[in-house]
Amino acid sequence: MAQLDHQAIKNLIALSRIDCTEEEQTKLLQDLKSILAYVEQLNEVNTDNVPPCNHVIKDVANMMREDQIGETMPRETFLANAPSHVGGLIRVPPVIKQQ
Amino acid sequence: MYQLSAIELRDKFIRGDLSALQIVDYYLQRIDQLDAKLGAFLAVFHERAREKARALDAKKKAGGKLGKLAAIPIALKDNIHVKGETSTAGSKILYNYKAPFDATVTRLLEAEDAIIIGKTNCDEFAMGSSTENSAFKKTGNPWNLKCTPGGSSGGSGAAVSARLCPIALGSDTGGSIRLPGSFCGVIGYKPTYGRVSRFGLIAYGSSLDQIGPLTLNAADAALVMEVLGQHCEKDSTSLKWAGEDYLPVLNKDLKGFKIGVPREFLEGLNTEARQVFDRSLQELQALGATLVDVDLSILKYALGTYYILATAEASTNLARFDGIRYGLRSEKAKTLDEVYTFSKEEGFGAEVKRRILLGTYVLSAGYQDAYYKKAQKVRTLIIEKYEEAFKKCDLVATPVSPFPAFEIGAIKDPLQMYLADIYSISINLAGLPAVSVPSGFSGDRKPIGLQLIGPQKQDRKVLQAAYAYEQATPYHKEIPPFAERVFT
Repeated sequence: MAQLDHQAIKNLIALSRIDCTEEEQTKLLQDLKSILAYVEQLNEVNTDNVPPCNHVIKDVANMMREDQIGETMPRETFLANAPSHVGGLIRVPPVIKQQ
Repeated sequence: MYQLSAIELRDKFIRGDLSALQIVDYYLQRIDQLDAKLGAFLAVFHERAREKARALDAKKKAGGKLGKLAAIPIALKDNIHVKGETSTAGSKILYNYKAPFDATVTRLLEAEDAIIIGKTNCDEFAMGSSTENSAFKKTGNPWNLKCTPGGSSGGSGAAVSARLCPIALGSDTGGSIRLPGSFCGVIGYKPTYGRVSRFGLIAYGSSLDQIGPLTLNAADAALVMEVLGQHCEKDSTSLKWAGEDYLPVLNKDLKGFKIGVPREFLEGLNTEARQVFDRSLQELQALGATLVDVDLSILKYALGTYYILATAEASTNLARFDGIRYGLRSEKAKTLDEVYTFSKEEGFGAEVKRRILLGTYVLSAGYQDAYYKKAQKVRTLIIEKYEEAFKKCDLVATPVSPFPAFEIGAIKDPLQMYLADIYSISINLAGLPAVSVPSGFSGDRKPIGLQLIGPQKQDRKVLQAAYAYEQATPYHKEIPPFAERVFT
C-alpha cells in the first residue's frame, strides 16, 4: 500500500469491508493524514535494541487453562441474536450463484 | 438520601433504617425525573431492580447473610453484559443485541447483593472523550448541561455526579473512566491491567482495556475493588493474584510518601488547570508527602503510541461485527459481501470507521514495522521509564486532562479531541493503576481532577492516597446544583 492517498483509502475500505461514500472517503483521507502526521513524531525516539512490548505485565506471558469440556451456550440462546436463521442455522445470502 | 455514599446507604439498609425497595424506588424516581435532561442512561431496569430489591428485603427478613454491596444501586456502562438485557456499547450495530450471559463483574456485584439499576451511555465502542460518539444520544454534564461529561464512560460519570446512583462501572482504555471522573467531579478508578475481569466487556483495545468504578468517594471505590478484584478463568488476561483488602489501608495519612512530578510533561496545561494542579501538590505536601522530580519526558510520545496500538487492536476486535451472527444486518444487502459492507456502513459511526481504517493501515503489509512495531517498542520504553520513576517515588501525580469539561459540539477535529487524553493515556500503555480524584474547580464551576498513578499491582497505594487527599480537601463533597433540584 503506497502513501496515503485516495487509492489507499479505497484499499483500506476494501480490506476492512466498510462501505463509504466518496464524500466520507475524502474526509477520512484528511483525518487519517493529520493523525499519521502526528504519530510520525515517534520516529524521534531511538528504539534501537528495544524489544517490542508483548505483554504489559512483565512476569506474565501466555495464560493457559486445561482443555476441558465445559458448558457452552445453547444453540437457541445464540440464535436469538441472529438477524436471520432457519432450521437451527444462521441464514446468509447465497455464496455460490445458482445456474 | 441522594447525599449518601454507597457505604452509608448499605449501612442504613443493614441497620434497618431503609429497605432495599425504598432505596431502589428512590433512585429510580430520581432517574425518571432528572435523566430526561441529563441523558446518562440508555436503559433503566425498573422491574428487574425492584424484583432484586424485594428478594433482598426478603432475604434480610429471613436472616440471610447480606453481601458487601447490599442494596446499593449500581449502573453499568452499556458495553458490560447483563444477561437478557441489551448491550449496545453505544453503537447502532448492536442496537438489538441482548447479552446471552452475565459479565464476570455483573456476577460479582450481584453475588454481593448490589442492585443493577440500568445501563449508561458511552462513546461508541468506548472510542471517544466526550460521549458525543454515542449513536443514541448526547449526555450532559451535571455541572453544566451544555458541556460534555467526558468520555467514553460519560453516562457513568454523569449518573454518579447527578446522584442518580452512588456507583457506576465504566471501562478505561486510554482515560475513559478518569476523564469523566475529572469532568464530573467524582472518583474515577482505573485498576492495574488484569486486576478486574473483562469477561462480558465488549472489547476495544484488548491490551489496554480495564473495568473500574466511578464513585462519590475513595472508600466506595475501595469497596467495589474488593469485590471486583478477583482472578477470573474466563479472561486470559486476568492476573492470578488473590483478592486484596483495600478498605483497611485507607485511614492513613501520606507521611513518608514520595510523590513524583513529571514537570517537563506538564507544559500543555491551561492556566486554571495549572493553578489547581499546583495547589493539589501543596495539599499533598501538607498531608506529609514529599515531592520529587521524575523524568517522564517519554510521555510526549504516549498519545501517538496509543493511537497506533489502540486502533490496530480495535480494527481486529471490531471485525466480528459483520451482520452475520448478531446485531444489525443491512436490509438492502443482497449478497454476502453486501451483508458485511452495508451492515458496517450503516452500523458504525464516523469515529469507529476512522479508527478501524487507521488500525487496518498501521497493520497493513509494508507499514506494520514503521507504525505498529515501532509503537510496541516505544511502549516498552514508556513502561521502563515509569519503572525508573517508581524507584524514586511511590506515586506519580499529574492532572487528568489539560482542560475542564468543554461544550458539546465544541471540538470537531479528531486529533484535538484525542489531546484531551494526553495525561491519562500512558497509564493504559504501562498497565498502571490510577485514580481521578476531585481537586478543585475552574472559575466557571467546572470540576477538575487530580490524577494519582501507582506502580503495577499497587492499587492499594493509589486508593490510600486518594482517600487521604479527599479527607483533607472539600472538593468531593460539592454537589452539582442540577442534582439538588427538589422534586416530589
